[in-house]
Amino acid sequence: MTREDERTLTEALAAARDAGRRCALATIVETKGSTPRKVGARMLVDPTRGLVGTVGGGCGEAEVIEAAHRVLGTGVPERVRVDLTDDLLSWSPAVCGGIMDVFVEPVSPPEPRA
Amino acid sequence: MSILSAADVAELLLGTAEAGGSAAAVVVVRTPSGALAALAGRRLAVTRMGADRIGMHGTLGSEALDTAAVAVLHEALDTPRSRDGLREIQADGATVELYLEVRRPVQELIVVGAGHIAQPMAHVGALLGFKVTVLDDRPDFATRERFPDADRVVRADFSDPFADIPLHERSHILLVTRGHKYDYDCLVRALRMDPPPAYIGMIGSRRRVRATFVQLVDEGFTMDLIERIHAPVGLDIGAETPEEIAVAVAAELVMVRRGGTGLPLRGVERVAERFFSQTTEEPQ
Repeated sequence: MTREDERTLTEALAAARDAGRRCALATIVETKGSTPRKVGARMLVDPTRGLVGTVGGGCGEAEVIEAAHRVLGTGVPERVRVDLTDDLLSWSPAVCGGIMDVFVEPVSPPEPRA
Repeated sequence: MSILSAADVAELLLGTAEAGGSAAAVVVVRTPSGALAALAGRRLAVTRMGADRIGMHGTLGSEALDTAAVAVLHEALDTPRSRDGLREIQADGATVELYLEVRRPVQELIVVGAGHIAQPMAHVGALLGFKVTVLDDRPDFATRERFPDADRVVRADFSDPFADIPLHERSHILLVTRGHKYDYDCLVRALRMDPPPAYIGMIGSRRRVRATFVQLVDEGFTMDLIERIHAPVGLDIGAETPEEIAVAVAAELVMVRRGGTGLPLRGVERVAERFFSQTTEEPQ
């Protein structure tokens, strides 16, 4: 993430926290091979404001958004493995050639103490 | 210790790096099933502002986990090229996976001279994540309006240009004043800095640069020091306009930061030659 991206995401996270709004945060925690975004890229799924940031766009991101909506419902974090290793000559949108591991977690308000 | 939200940690990391400090944070991303599963998403962070101001923030839920995680955080902060990513810790008889991220103090770009190259340079510098300072002795040039992307626009005397700007090993200094005499005065000050700045670039033709180097040798500067100066500045992409020159300098700044070669990737990778040649050479 660039410093500008990080600022934007931090402000969006803080706004959701201050409003007490439940959102889902997706973070790329590991990649193998070639992926559009690298480790550390983040996307906030805010049900009232939409998406802030990106984990790479396309089909891979769609899978992450789907997981984010599950997480918003259950309140339980998930690990999503996005496989972008379709045949390079298929012209599929998922031909970056890599795999990325994404941690999707509910944020703000924090989980109550166990 | 209280439970930190993702927003709390994001603010802590960003704020610390922008204030010139270092910070690292972990978040629990995988636990064994059972009682520990509730810890996923817990966060712990360490901040360092100088050697003596060390802060610890948040908790992963147990003292043993926190102790193990703090060791991971300090090790990452002590490793200059540590990579963000997954780490494992063992505590309380269980293995917990963490995602670690580190923020270093924000890199600074100091553009000396607020003329026509400084404008696109401030823009591209900000885009690359530098904290940008522009300085000039002319009040009409050192204005916010001309440099909306800069963090600071400073009016300064070129005989002592860095009087109000703390320089450090994260400073990248680009000399593009309206006169080579000013560039020279500022260059001498930059070269005498201890610790040395990360980058010193100076604009100028081959002839001008040679004249500058001759003068530096006459004043007793060693070749080791002189070879640290990036002059003429930027990568060779045939840049002519101020915008193109800014891109050439920006490419050099990225190269210094990341350690690239500055060569076209096409020539480095030679994909066509290596994988499509009719010769006996086998693809590697």
